[in-house]
Amino acid sequence: MTALLSLKEIRKSFGGLAALSGISFDVRPGEIVGVIGPNGAGKTTLFNVITSVFPPTSGEVVLDGAPIGGLPPHRITKLGITRTFQNIRLFSTMTVEENVLVGRHCRSRAGVWTGVLRTAGQRREEREIRSKAGELLELVGLSGADPDSTAGSLPYGHQRRLEIARALAAEPRLLLLDEPVAGMNEAETQEVFRLIKRVQSLGVTILLIEHDMSLVMKACDRLVVFNFGRKIAEGTPEEVRNDPQVIEAYLGAAEGGADA
Amino acid sequence: MEWLNPYHLQVASFVLINVILGVSIYITLSTGQLSLGNAGFMSIGAYTAALLSTQHHVPIPVGILAGSLLAGAAGILVGIPSLRLTGVYLAIATLGFGEVLRAVLINWESLTGGAVGVAAIPQMGRVILAWAGDRGFSPETLGLQGNQFIALAVFLILLLSTILSVAFFLRLSRSRVGRAYTAIRLDESAAAAAGIPITYYKVLAFSQGALLSGFAGALFAHATSFVSPGDFTYHRAVEILVFAVFGGSEHIFGPVFGAAFLTVMPEALRFVSDYRYILYGILLVLMMIFRPQGVIDPPLMRAIRRKRKGRTA
Repeated sequence: MTALLSLKEIRKSFGGLAALSGISFDVRPGEIVGVIGPNGAGKTTLFNVITSVFPPTSGEVVLDGAPIGGLPPHRITKLGITRTFQNIRLFSTMTVEENVLVGRHCRSRAGVWTGVLRTAGQRREEREIRSKAGELLELVGLSGADPDSTAGSLPYGHQRRLEIARALAAEPRLLLLDEPVAGMNEAETQEVFRLIKRVQSLGVTILLIEHDMSLVMKACDRLVVFNFGRKIAEGTPEEVRNDPQVIEAYLGAAEGGADA
Repeated sequence: MEWLNPYHLQVASFVLINVILGVSIYITLSTGQLSLGNAGFMSIGAYTAALLSTQHHVPIPVGILAGSLLAGAAGILVGIPSLRLTGVYLAIATLGFGEVLRAVLINWESLTGGAVGVAAIPQMGRVILAWAGDRGFSPETLGLQGNQFIALAVFLILLLSTILSVAFFLRLSRSRVGRAYTAIRLDESAAAAAGIPITYYKVLAFSQGALLSGFAGALFAHATSFVSPGDFTYHRAVEILVFAVFGGSEHIFGPVFGAAFLTVMPEALRFVSDYRYILYGILLVLMMIFRPQGVIDPPLMRAIRRKRKGRTA
């Protein structure tokens, strides 16, 4: 099967610091791929490169056979890659629903004049946006929220799920989740796990950064392991779990161990 | 009709012009851009309309339209390089733009009349009275004196202009474009990740604000029949900003309220003469302490809406 997303020799340096050195791997349609590694390994930097927050120093990001490097972030979103953020970035004083409506921006068209004149087409589109937002809020389990409550007033776990709803509103083919269960308890983690699986069943491919190993092992079809900006392993959760380099990166080298 | 006092109508007219200016800064602020250039854009609209009607005898509505569009175009030109600036840096750059423009108005005497300004601009009310008079109309048939009729005509034109401007941007703020503006103000990176073209909307909002300032300026020129560089100083730029800061900049009714209140208050306090601006200052300081987001904010508007809904239900 051809890759949905293909990363080719991605390098990213900040000044003299190499945050990513030569990262290559593929994400196939329908997969959940986990990106794991110690803090500072370059996982979020990779997400920022894929979504064009900044360009890679060298290397290529290829979506469905077409290079997408250098496009502005909103174009990447329109092409079908959306994301959530490690430190939640909701529009906190907007209502819960409005956050999802904003996520629908690139799948709707109304401009200044149609918006002001409220043409028949604009009203139809607005109804479509709202019904889609309603579906997504239901999907992530937030349909019961007070429509006037602001995103910032939601409990932490709900904010994470609202961010997922906003990202899904753009109808992504590939969803990037940056630590979706960080700071959550066991029950909340379970809910997000089920949500991720449901999103996958809707045909969305997922690239997942996560530190919660039980979730990663359960949810992911394949894992990519980073350490110090390099890919040190790739494979099924089972393969990765037994990889000596991975064990070393997480637990440190055994005393007097090999220099591998 | 004794109660129809031309002085009160004139104050009301200035309220309306200031409301339009307040809305103009609200639009740029709604994308998180702090502009102090709106007095400059206002001067573009005012001088364009004034010079077209005095020197080229262009009909007033055409001059007002030309002045607004030219200000809007200037907004695009200033807005694009300003994209690299945010916060106070943008404020300083746009303030500089306004002051440079004012220096041009003072020094380009052959066109602008220099520091003296442009006088004898056709005044909307007088033009309407003359036009109606030619057709055998006398304000007395309405029980009005000439100057009452003039002031009333100006007020009504400004009222219509203001209602249209506020309605336009109120609807815009509730549409897809308005949501994009708010999203950009709250978090630019998250907005871009949500698929919003930041550059396009920031320049659009900046230019819309400039256009509306120019519109207010053009109306001002034809309401007062005299403009000079002194009308568009730094003081004016800050005054416009204060409308939004005092009234609230997160809902369109904030600057509408701010402009109305802050224009009427000094007039209502005339009996304390020079002390009125001290009171004005005290009021602003108290606002910053007790309600820094301004008098009107979205939670307040939502509460009002809910209450109204509750009453009708």
